[in-house]
Amino acid sequence: MSYERRDQLPIPPRNATVRNTVCQYCNVGCGYKVYTWPVGTQGGLEASQNAFGVNLSAQPPIAGQTYSETMHSIVTNKDGVQYHVVIVPAKDSPINLNGDHSSRGATNAIATFSEGRATRERLKYPMLRVGDQFQVITWQEALNILCGVAKGIRDKDGNDDNIAVKAFDHGASGAGFENNYGVGSLFFKGFSVKHIAIHNRPAYNSEVWGSRERGVHELNYDASDARLADTIVLWGANTYETGSVFYTEHMLPNLRGATIPEKQQSLERNEPVEAAYMIVVDPRRTSSLTIAQTAAPGRTLHLRPNLGTDYILANAIARVIWERGYYNMQYLQNRTDMAKFEEYKAKSLKLGTPYAEFMAQASRITGVPRADIEKAADWIAKPKTGGFRRRTLTIYEKGMIWNMKNYDQIAALVQMAVLSQNIGRPGTGCGRQGGHQEGYVRPPSPTPGSIYNGGPPVNVDKYLTDGGGKLYWVIGTNPYLSTPNNQLFRKRIHERTKALTDYLGQSGEPGTTEGYVTKVLEGLEATGGLFMVVQDLYMIHTALDAHLLLPASAWGEANQTSINCNSRLLRLYEKFMDPPGEAKQDWEICKLVGLRMADLYRKDGNEAEARKFEFGKGWNKDEDVFLAGASEFPDNNIPASEEATLPAECYKGVTYAFLKQVGQQGIRTPVRMENGKPVGTLRRYSTKFGTKDGKFSWYGTDDWEGYPPEVQKYLEGDMAQKYPFWMTTGRAQVIWQTMYNDRFLPEKMLTLPLPYIELHPQDAQRLSIKSGDIVEVWNEEGNGTFMVYVTDAVKPGLIFALQYHTRGTSNSMVSGYTDPKTTIPWYKGTRVAIRKLSGGLPDVTSNTSLLAQNKFD
Amino acid sequence: MAATLSRRSVFKVLAGVVAVASGGKAQYGYAPSLAYPALKVGNINNLRDGQAVYFNYPDGSAQGVLVKLGQRAIGGVGRGRDIVAFSAACTHMGCGVQFKGGRFVCPCHYSMFDPAKAGQCYQGLASTPLPQIRLRVAQNGDLLAQGVVGLIWGRARNI
Ligand code: SF4
Ligand code: FES
Repeated sequence: MSYERRDQLPIPPRNATVRNTVCQYCNVGCGYKVYTWPVGTQGGLEASQNAFGVNLSAQPPIAGQTYSETMHSIVTNKDGVQYHVVIVPAKDSPINLNGDHSSRGATNAIATFSEGRATRERLKYPMLRVGDQFQVITWQEALNILCGVAKGIRDKDGNDDNIAVKAFDHGASGAGFENNYGVGSLFFKGFSVKHIAIHNRPAYNSEVWGSRERGVHELNYDASDARLADTIVLWGANTYETGSVFYTEHMLPNLRGATIPEKQQSLERNEPVEAAYMIVVDPRRTSSLTIAQTAAPGRTLHLRPNLGTDYILANAIARVIWERGYYNMQYLQNRTDMAKFEEYKAKSLKLGTPYAEFMAQASRITGVPRADIEKAADWIAKPKTGGFRRRTLTIYEKGMIWNMKNYDQIAALVQMAVLSQNIGRPGTGCGRQGGHQEGYVRPPSPTPGSIYNGGPPVNVDKYLTDGGGKLYWVIGTNPYLSTPNNQLFRKRIHERTKALTDYLGQSGEPGTTEGYVTKVLEGLEATGGLFMVVQDLYMIHTALDAHLLLPASAWGEANQTSINCNSRLLRLYEKFMDPPGEAKQDWEICKLVGLRMADLYRKDGNEAEARKFEFGKGWNKDEDVFLAGASEFPDNNIPASEEATLPAECYKGVTYAFLKQVGQQGIRTPVRMENGKPVGTLRRYSTKFGTKDGKFSWYGTDDWEGYPPEVQKYLEGDMAQKYPFWMTTGRAQVIWQTMYNDRFLPEKMLTLPLPYIELHPQDAQRLSIKSGDIVEVWNEEGNGTFMVYVTDAVKPGLIFALQYHTRGTSNSMVSGYTDPKTTIPWYKGTRVAIRKLSGGLPDVTSNTSLLAQNKFD
Repeated sequence: MAATLSRRSVFKVLAGVVAVASGGKAQYGYAPSLAYPALKVGNINNLRDGQAVYFNYPDGSAQGVLVKLGQRAIGGVGRGRDIVAFSAACTHMGCGVQFKGGRFVCPCHYSMFDPAKAGQCYQGLASTPLPQIRLRVAQNGDLLAQGVVGLIWGRARNI
């Protein structure tokens, strides 16, 4: 079986409208062009006849303009006019050079809303649960109900403790600075919510306080640093699949030696340059590793630490750097806090333990041979011929972030980089790859930092599953797939929302708004239930248990701004179509909620409270919110040498007009103002770090203490027999996040019809499992069914499971453990059992490729 | 064997024009919606398992590739239903794909396509499967290309 393919596409005519945008999906932030024109006409194949200005009957590879079957759609605007929409990779972007793009971004056009395609599933109108159905209501009614319930809870409680929120905090994907500021203003200026969690985790926290509290924001490098580096370290980051174009346009050319001329031009005179080396630290043989092995044989190193032991490994590499004298004492003295350095030397480098003994310990804990640890240190830090300092760019992502002991993991890594002076110089940096793009601007949040800085933040999942909260408001995220210990979470939220639903439905639901609100408030007290609001693009899994649904508008349906991760590049994502039905931008929904709340307080004569909720009074268009958000940033009329004092996303002084003018070139945040003009920051921390005194703040990491009880229980006695596999989790190239759009696209659903696990051939043979079989994976936390790929990507005894798929999540098996210092979960390590389901799904095996995804030679 | 021909000569050699779709479907370009030539691209008796034969189709500036997989394939012809043909231009950015170890690998950014699964891109940056070239086996074993299902990279219309 296949699906309907196309062999001709409408050609944008010369007079088509052209707009700049940026991919709605991953951290890379590839630039795209959107061409729109009314249905009924089209251009011609000749370069002079179409808006691309290229001959569309044959083009040279790479140099040509990609226009694939997924890059066209037809949409209908509110005026009833049908438009062709063509969304193709931009050729003038500094990020996706050559018009590169991935299989995710290539589907931006077919993911647009249309009544004629599967995306008709978008939420168009507010809806209210009545018994076991959702009924369409008006916005006014929805606001009356929502604000009635929220105010009723506040009136009774005298605070916002029982108003729990889970909301996106990212850029792109229809969010951006505008919607972040809307959400932040509602919950931190109007309400004073403390039980709020971020889209993919149970609390409101940074995932990298271990770096930020050292004075290093996680986005400190530029994409070009991957082209200039001597060594690229991918630590718990599978960039080829989760930041594809960053890999193919910036890392791969360097591995192939194609950036040597750039190095000669940009680096120091007489500095030796050659093709890059790559170190991949990952329990799996990822495609990012095996491509490097194919493209740059002999210049790759793979370290496969035991799960959870990465910080011990980073410290061990740092110890070798220290022993071998690969550091610059003058730099350390000038740029870092030498008093705190003593603590680092004692606890992380453990200079009190003789080198041989230390290395033997590190090797035993991590499972990485001493020789490899030493080789890694050489590749990261050994000065080059002529005494030139090596340039190493270290990119990490969820393999480190969602590891056991989040704080110490991140701190260990950034400290390794600073010890070897690998931040703030061309070709260096130590930062996140990122998952999505960023766009954070909000009033101050409830928790300032880790346990060392006023934290840790509250675990909102636990608060809710333990029975806390009355109103649960979920915005732009799908916790029924994304939160840890997922099965327990789903069950408890279902029970609690259903308790209220049943109460409301005892004898027909009240017909008046007031009656309904009163009954909800009564029911919440009587049942310990939850009133759940879901504000989203689609009827997501979580929405099935909600009471009230609010339709949000998406990428392309409004003007938005975000930065990407590899360069902090701020660009305007221009609106090119209307939202479906009555869907609205999140900022506008937040504004309307605020104004309705203000009305209710004013009716009570509570003017002070009413004013708090009027934050959005003057917001009439997207840019109003963008500019209002800018007021949260400090004065940025400062010299370049002071850039470290600015928040990473500072865009004060930038307007939409400015962004329109710079187009795909954008501007790199933090933005400073010089002579009244915005100026970007290419690379951070060249002169100072982001601490009060500008010096890097060292930290002594914990010793190896073994696994937390939630996982250790599986390593003992009967449990060790019962659950013989380690399980780690992650993402796949083909799909984006929870597949909220992808599940409607045949290209995606045929390629990845089910969540899957990777199983080593030895284990597969022992269990008589083959690729394409369906297995149950389970432990004491939960269960899931998965399709199997038998592959050497994993080691014997370790499986990899896709983290989320519209048909299930491996988070069901993940424990409720979070790092006590940060409340960040360990999504990537637990123990499980596996059994093959008898029979199979021939439809899946005959339509879906089962070939090895990490074999390229 | 590799057939080569120019855009013009195609229309001279072809045995007949096939697969002319019309009406609503053609309007949106659902493949095959164009008047494709029928063209001999090989003979069933000359193919060996695991070997690729390159040819030009539907015109002289588009490379196609014919493979006998030795295992049943979606859209496969021949006794084992294992002979399939595809556009050889990677649907990512147009580089020529290579047939290695039973699958197609693109040397530019490593997209990989499964010839047994309608050219599915099971790894890499390409957004669509390789366009599959429809084959018919003539009585004498000749393999005739007779249409392309999917858009050839770099074109807005296959012919
Ligand atoms: S690499 Fe990321 S940003 Fe670029 S096209 Fe793909 S999903 Fe979009
Ligand atoms: S051109 Fe084939 S993977 Fe990019």
